[in-house]
Amino acid sequence: MDRRVMPVATILLLLAGCTSTRQQSSAGFVPPAGTYKLIVMRPDIAVSLVTAGGQLEQREDWTLQARDNVLASLRSQQARRGGTTQIALTRAEAGSDDATIIELNQLHEVVGQSIMLHKFSPGSALPSKKGKFDWTLGALATQYGGQSGYDYALFLFARDSFSSSGRAALQAVGVLGCMVGFCYIPQGGIQQAFASLVDLKTGDVVWFNFLTSDLGDIRTTEGANTMVAQLLNPMGQDPKKKSKD
Amino acid sequence: MPASRRQFMFAAGGCAACLSGLARAHVLPTDLEPLVNANYQPTDPDERGIWQAMERIEESIQTSPQLLQAPALQAYTRQVVERLVGRPAPELRIYLMRDASFNAAMFPSGMMIVHTGLMARVRDESQYAAVLGHESGHYFRKHTIESYRSIRSRSAAMAFVAATASVAAGATAASGYSGAGTWIDAANLVSMAVVLSVFQFSRAQEAEADAYGVALMARAGYSPGAAAQIWKQLIDERKASAAQRNKHYRDRANSAFSTHPPSEDRMQDLADTAAYLVRNGAAATSDGRAEWQAVIAPYRAQLLEEQIKLNDPGASLYLVQNLAQDGWTGPLRYNEGEIYRLRGATGDDAKAAAAYAASTALPDAPPEAWRAHGYALLKTGNVADGHAALDRYLAMVPDAKDAGVVRFTLAQ
Repeated sequence: MDRRVMPVATILLLLAGCTSTRQQSSAGFVPPAGTYKLIVMRPDIAVSLVTAGGQLEQREDWTLQARDNVLASLRSQQARRGGTTQIALTRAEAGSDDATIIELNQLHEVVGQSIMLHKFSPGSALPSKKGKFDWTLGALATQYGGQSGYDYALFLFARDSFSSSGRAALQAVGVLGCMVGFCYIPQGGIQQAFASLVDLKTGDVVWFNFLTSDLGDIRTTEGANTMVAQLLNPMGQDPKKKSKD
Repeated sequence: MPASRRQFMFAAGGCAACLSGLARAHVLPTDLEPLVNANYQPTDPDERGIWQAMERIEESIQTSPQLLQAPALQAYTRQVVERLVGRPAPELRIYLMRDASFNAAMFPSGMMIVHTGLMARVRDESQYAAVLGHESGHYFRKHTIESYRSIRSRSAAMAFVAATASVAAGATAASGYSGAGTWIDAANLVSMAVVLSVFQFSRAQEAEADAYGVALMARAGYSPGAAAQIWKQLIDERKASAAQRNKHYRDRANSAFSTHPPSEDRMQDLADTAAYLVRNGAAATSDGRAEWQAVIAPYRAQLLEEQIKLNDPGASLYLVQNLAQDGWTGPLRYNEGEIYRLRGATGDDAKAAAAYAASTALPDAPPEAWRAHGYALLKTGNVADGHAALDRYLAMVPDAKDAGVVRFTLAQ
């Protein structure tokens, strides 16, 4: 292939927006059903502006709007999945002492990042985790389950970002480069989210889904509905199937 | 990535002593007015976003196991800050953290972090006030948001240079000329100059925070010279640490990449600023040595232990000896012995034994000094005195975790 054509083809592909989700679940995972109590642990949602230089600049108004939307989507969509769902926004609502809740959140953050690195980043797979999904939050999670009476904890993390006008101009300059065979496209706004289900009887992370998208906008009701659905609907589907739309 | 954002936020905290150091920018302390008042709430979207992002970080600090549970010390620290500011300052939230490094940090939303490593090195209230005043300077002069905006505009410039160079490089490559690498290198050089000016900007802020802090000290009746003293101590400590490791002392701040001014320059600037203020009538009422010693006494053993466990005998010995200028105490002598014992060089056994013995001769010798003294005596064959010292240890802490081991020794 002509060296000029290939990068142009690549960039056209990049410009065509796409969403992909990739899930992982532990052996023999069955989605919660029947009567179960689920707690959504203080969802961590933020929306930022991508500045011309590429920094993410969190925007308070966008973040507050997105939080409201995502929580409303979660409430309405969970209602259709059975069980009872409680969304804990504050430590007090999570049904345990402050230190336990924060520690659980922080432990999950580290474990979640390990999962993202070792299961979703090319070249970072761990030989000892090949074909396995056996991450756990251990005793802290079971202890919390015992204290609070919940069966499952769902952790949700979502970041969305939108290009500033300066960043968009920069991307245009980058596209020009592709025309002459040398591509450097600064990244624009992107949506990244993960959901992680922890069985509080065992402490294990039993299901994990990671979403990345350059479409959608969780500042809108519709965008938040789509993201929550894309994130949570694959639960229980064949984990080997990679959904892409 | 979410992680890098959080790291940025941490980096955004102004930092007094990131062990690096001010171009000789003489900022007149009297020219600096606070840019925020007690009821300040940000209104610009970028700043509001930073404050919002700080919420989770502050929450994790509030519940961190590293937080030092010390209400009296906490209240004392607030009192020093408020004396500096000259009014109650509820907008500043102070957290004392167990971290043996000499440091303190100010976050843009008013969260101030003070490390135990700083408390371990401070000799009096005015030295403590010097660092707290510097940190307050970062807050009241809005350094974080100023710095963030500067980085934002400069990195935008860098991104444009890189993108434009790519276009040029691609055009050159397409025309059959194989010099694409050269273009990229040129772009990198331009970007490098921009990067360096970002750091330069930060050094100017450090200089300003230094001057602001010294001005607060003078106004509050602290000796403004204490700020230069604390830097002198730090430089001497690093020299002692380097000498111990057979290394040449190198000022880590003395590089173009440093965000902080070179330490020696910084010390000189602080001393000059202090002299200027004294010439203009600043008079210290007291250095607050007795007050500081009283409030820090219950934590002294813990502070020394944290330092000694860093396994930096040069720095640790300097620190103990520097504090001893205000008089040797039982805990200081005991810890001097511990430094020698852990270093274990030729002759250190004898030096450690002498230090333990000196500790037990002082009225405030900690129980551990009697235990160490006892074992040191047993090693030299002095069974009677050794047993007497161990008995004394058991009498002081009958429930000590190692009481069984000590009783076993006594039964031999």
